[in-house]
Amino acid sequence: MKIEILFPEFCNLFGDSGNVRYLRKCLPQAEFVETPLDGVPLFAEDAPALICMSPMSERIQEKVIEKLRPYRSRLRALIDGGTAFLFTGNAVEVLGEYIENEDGSRLEGLGLLPLSAKRDMMHRHNSLFLGSFEGTPVMGYKSQFTTTYPGEGVRGLFQVERGVGLNKKCPFEGVRDHNFFGTYLLGPVLLLNPDFTRALLDILGAQNVPLAFEEDLRGAYAQRLKDFREKM
Amino acid sequence: MRKNLRFYLALLCAKGTAAGLRLLGRKATNMPGSCAIRLCPDFLGRMPRPTRVIGVTGTNGKTSTSNMVEDMLASCGYDFICNGNGSNVDTGVAAALINHSTLLGKPKKDLAVFELDERSAPRILPYLRPDILLITNIFRDSYKRNAHVEFILDILNRYIPDSTRLILNADDLLCAGIRPENPRVYFGIDRQPDDGDTCRNIVQDVRVCPQCGGKLTWDFVRYHHIGRAHCPACGFASPSPKYRVIFTDPARRTMRVELAGVERELPLPNSSTINVYNSLAAVALLSEFGLPAEKLAAAMDKLAVSETRFNEEKVNGRSLVMHLAKGQNPIACSRAFENARDYPGKKSVLLFLDDFYDATHSVESTPWLYDTDFEFLNDENIASITVAGARHWDVFLRLLMAGVPREKIAHSGDTGRAVELTPTDGVDTVFILYDVFNIRFANGVRDQIRERLKALPPKEETAHED
Repeated sequence: MKIEILFPEFCNLFGDSGNVRYLRKCLPQAEFVETPLDGVPLFAEDAPALICMSPMSERIQEKVIEKLRPYRSRLRALIDGGTAFLFTGNAVEVLGEYIENEDGSRLEGLGLLPLSAKRDMMHRHNSLFLGSFEGTPVMGYKSQFTTTYPGEGVRGLFQVERGVGLNKKCPFEGVRDHNFFGTYLLGPVLLLNPDFTRALLDILGAQNVPLAFEEDLRGAYAQRLKDFREKM
Repeated sequence: MRKNLRFYLALLCAKGTAAGLRLLGRKATNMPGSCAIRLCPDFLGRMPRPTRVIGVTGTNGKTSTSNMVEDMLASCGYDFICNGNGSNVDTGVAAALINHSTLLGKPKKDLAVFELDERSAPRILPYLRPDILLITNIFRDSYKRNAHVEFILDILNRYIPDSTRLILNADDLLCAGIRPENPRVYFGIDRQPDDGDTCRNIVQDVRVCPQCGGKLTWDFVRYHHIGRAHCPACGFASPSPKYRVIFTDPARRTMRVELAGVERELPLPNSSTINVYNSLAAVALLSEFGLPAEKLAAAMDKLAVSETRFNEEKVNGRSLVMHLAKGQNPIACSRAFENARDYPGKKSVLLFLDDFYDATHSVESTPWLYDTDFEFLNDENIASITVAGARHWDVFLRLLMAGVPREKIAHSGDTGRAVELTPTDGVDTVFILYDVFNIRFANGVRDQIRERLKALPPKEETAHED
């Protein structure tokens, strides 16, 4: 199984490289391919089982969009073909239609997802999130400069129970398209949510692979869930 | 900006607030400033500034460095305004200026030294217009507040006045590149025996040449992006420091320093790399301020690192170390973990990383744990790790991810159990790593550990390689 990590030298903010480090513990036999920003993505010619991209700075986000633009149709084909993706934080917006700056100027995204994002650099949004994924509780932390507005037909990833979804009025957090999982939840999300991680591994065909440190992961999850329910 | 009626009203209210607070036995180091800025949002711009203003900012080390600078200036007989006992945001600066001004706002002293929060630069720097600004370094800090280094750099580049003379860390390419048009000098530490050729940390925020975007060649890496590099493609290189440490002698607590071309030996209050940087930064700042080298050396001889940040004591032949490890700050914690690992002998380590107030009212954010090098604690000389606090399960999981054997780790949400969970027999040192908002609790634990160490049979001190 090949897992591609896009641009890890830049897309590694907010502890989210922990997601990939955890996947390495769960899937020690998998081949992890790190593609640098000046390299050719593995997915251009090959079909990785999972493609991961973590949050990045705003200037890097612009470079990443331009880097991926020539691969737009390839990415669409991979999404439609069921390849799994885990894009976290502002990596989600890269696939959207546009990102709007405070002055109204727009950065065109890849246009693969019907959503847009609006930046507000002097008002950072920080919040706790409690929701559900296929009926099981999901938690995470949000810390971002953008608010995202989904268009018609966008399928949410997590249903909001408490906290803020893609925006204050949105009933869901994150985006799902086939096996594309995009979420703003930080944590890292895979270490915070064992059932979600289990579902991702199942999609990768690793149904028989146990979660690394599963008992401890679930112990931490139970304590955190209690705290979220009591303090949110 | 000129003084107006609103300014005078704000100043009057602030002075009244300060007088009231002092009657209540409070220091009035923040609220008067808060009151003034609430009534007059551009208060700092209208408040007369002392003739000379020195600022100290940066991600890590600004408090320690400011304390050193203030202590050295005081020991050299200077009288100055500072916010050493107050906050480093706009309200703390305003309070310090208010408390040392006449009824009409005229400063009573000619010199001011301010520690300045880098995130608050837009509300301070354009008004305060420091003559000299020392920037210690630029690293990732609280994600909720500071986001990422590019965000902080953009703020500093935008709000540092053109006229401000900068003193920058030559070994930090993020810091060294700030406001390239401003007058500047650099400080840095030469390659030392422990420095490597590659980064040994999770976080490394300088990946490409700041000029051409090409791949950098590192001459050495000290930690994270601290080190010296050059770009084979465009010829860019780390700047040459005017103030540089050539080597340190930890046993004698001295450092060999080149000050503007002249080598001399200076005392070191603490020999950890961070404190060498802080000491060197203070030396560079005060040299640029005009303090002669002889006076600098004499003033440094009297320095000590604040005991709220680092303290070690001997109990019955064993060491008991208190070391600040700022929660939510992955770099500061990584440095503290590396210091714990490198401390000689067998150790028990206690981790109190939760923010006490955050833990009380909210669920503290965990992402920073995965940018922090807990891997340093996976060391054969660390015999046990005790984790106590609200997020103990998350820290425990992070330690497992770092490869620490589970049998070495004890964890509990009940902080009262921390002492009983920590083995003290069979170790040379107990290392207490605590968040800044846990200091009172950590002090209590230290007292209990001290009593336990006193009850043990005396241990003969063994020689360790430092």
